[in-house]
Amino acid sequence: MDQYGKQAYDEYRQILRAGIAAQFDSCVRCGICAGSCSFYTETGEPRYTPIWKAELLRRAYEQDATLLGKLRSLLGWGYKWDFDTLKQWSVLDYEACTSCNRCAQACPMGISIGALIHKAREGLAAAGVVPEDLQKVTRKAVEEGSPLGVTQEVFEERMEWIAEEWEVEIPTDLIGADDLVVFTSIEIQKFPTGIAAIAKILNTAGLHWTISREGREITNFGAFVADAAITKQIALRIVEAAEKLKVKRVIISECGHANDVMRWSLPNLLGHRPSFEVVHITEVMADLLTSGRIQLKEGVYKGGPVTYHDPCKIVRRGGMVEEPRILMKAVAGEQFREMKENREKNWCCGGGGGVISIGEAEPLRMKAFGVKVRQIEEIGAQVVATSCSNCRLQFVDGVKHYNLPVKVTTVSELVAAALLPGKGGN
Amino acid sequence: MNDVLAFARGPLFYGCLIFFLVAMAFRLFRVLALRWQVDRAKPKGNAAEGAVVSFLKALLIFPFFPGLKGLSQRSALVFFAGGIFHLSLFLVIFFTAAHTLVWQSLLGFRWDPIPTPIIDGFTAATILALIVLAINRATNPVLRLLSGPSSYLNLLFVLIPFLTGFIMYHRLIQPYIAVYAIHMLAVDWLLVWIPLSRIAHFMFYFFSRPAHGAEFARRNAVP
Repeated sequence: MDQYGKQAYDEYRQILRAGIAAQFDSCVRCGICAGSCSFYTETGEPRYTPIWKAELLRRAYEQDATLLGKLRSLLGWGYKWDFDTLKQWSVLDYEACTSCNRCAQACPMGISIGALIHKAREGLAAAGVVPEDLQKVTRKAVEEGSPLGVTQEVFEERMEWIAEEWEVEIPTDLIGADDLVVFTSIEIQKFPTGIAAIAKILNTAGLHWTISREGREITNFGAFVADAAITKQIALRIVEAAEKLKVKRVIISECGHANDVMRWSLPNLLGHRPSFEVVHITEVMADLLTSGRIQLKEGVYKGGPVTYHDPCKIVRRGGMVEEPRILMKAVAGEQFREMKENREKNWCCGGGGGVISIGEAEPLRMKAFGVKVRQIEEIGAQVVATSCSNCRLQFVDGVKHYNLPVKVTTVSELVAAALLPGKGGN
Repeated sequence: MNDVLAFARGPLFYGCLIFFLVAMAFRLFRVLALRWQVDRAKPKGNAAEGAVVSFLKALLIFPFFPGLKGLSQRSALVFFAGGIFHLSLFLVIFFTAAHTLVWQSLLGFRWDPIPTPIIDGFTAATILALIVLAINRATNPVLRLLSGPSSYLNLLFVLIPFLTGFIMYHRLIQPYIAVYAIHMLAVDWLLVWIPLSRIAHFMFYFFSRPAHGAEFARRNAVP
């Protein structure tokens, strides 16, 4: 056991709980999870089998908390805990898994394999055996406040430009607003149309909302690396901004992992529930539409057959199953088509969980995208809408890579385009 | 041979049974002693309902209709053979005429057995399923990666009691007493082996499956 192995092993010992142990003890090594993972199905590589990616954590459990494991170590048959072993799994866990948790749906024993792989990442993160690109971006997010260089100055400039270019009002640092809306760095830097669309929708509905210069972006690379301290540190920027502005809700823009962190992990990281509610823009829009606060004009959408890609953190880990469908049907009517596997069974895009930020993983994530290509072609969709910037970026790359005649957009942009003027103007 | 049989179905059986119960309880205790993680996030859906739904689906539906799940097409064989195997296992253990007498001696009451020709069919199905699963494990690249020697021993140690039971019923090998003794020794060994192996999954399944349902339902997703 070298120092890397020891750091990883110690971390696993710390995070080991009954839930993890019971899941590993119920695994029968049936291999069914392999068929649910596009990294396996698109490559045929057995090592991409989901439960195998969690193997380091399982070994730590066996060695640390079972009699047979202890006996094994005593006899000198223990597992290797060294840099090379960790490196081997670092590639599997960071580059060949988006922690989409589709495997949990396939597992007959109900093992939440995606969550176990995330836990396995925690040990690798503790040992610092993380792909270099991911490490660099995470460091940037911690030191500069953004993985994509969204400093306060850049943020102000971009928001002013968006407000002017798309003629939308974007309230900033409004103390006492009901909602704090936080966008992703991808939207701020690459997809400003998404920000303009959300601003237009919220203004039309007459919501009392704001953005914050301090809590300016929701992207959380701590979650990708699986470092709880960094995850908390980045999330606290939003918590502090929300508390300062005294908002009732934090609205997460079209981002999957941020919803997972803020809605589901934050109370556990803080040790208590935050003073505000956390909601995702998709559920906000669906609520505004069903309650009549926004109305959509029929027949505006003329883009051809359109489908919706369920981001893993929005559907399986976020429970927003019907909300996007209510919106998509309202926008596109008959033109809306479901992919064959949809809702909780939807195939992952292959770019989430930080994979997209790792340069050397690009050929693999493009291979994994192959399943989306087939899904899109099966139904003849010409437009794909999603509700996660990370998925959107992966689709933009994937569509280009496979040369598909498909337009990629988001639910909010489709909704914004069909909006009827409301009481809030815009 | 009579003495061996008497020992195997008498003191040895009871000794192994006690070991099985104590060792399983110990394994459970070891896991539970690690404590469950508390989730402080406000639930979006009903976790208890999810636990029940997930459990019932897994118990009654998925193993027998692999297509329904929509996620297991690539492993239809494992799913189907596994489903048949578990159903047969349950019926043979609890409803074979001779076994109901064993249960009566252990519990003090008995229930009606299933007619032996039907049980015989299920036994044959189990034997076939085990062979199919073993061949699949040895040839499928994913399963080869995930399997160690114990994966095959698990299948073998479960197979022997079924095989000997089948041979006994059809009087395929004589003397009957010898086969019976092997049958009992194999059962005794299985009772010792289970807590040391992944066959213990049947106990942890009662935790992992409902936990899966609860986790999904808490988040308002269908497990």
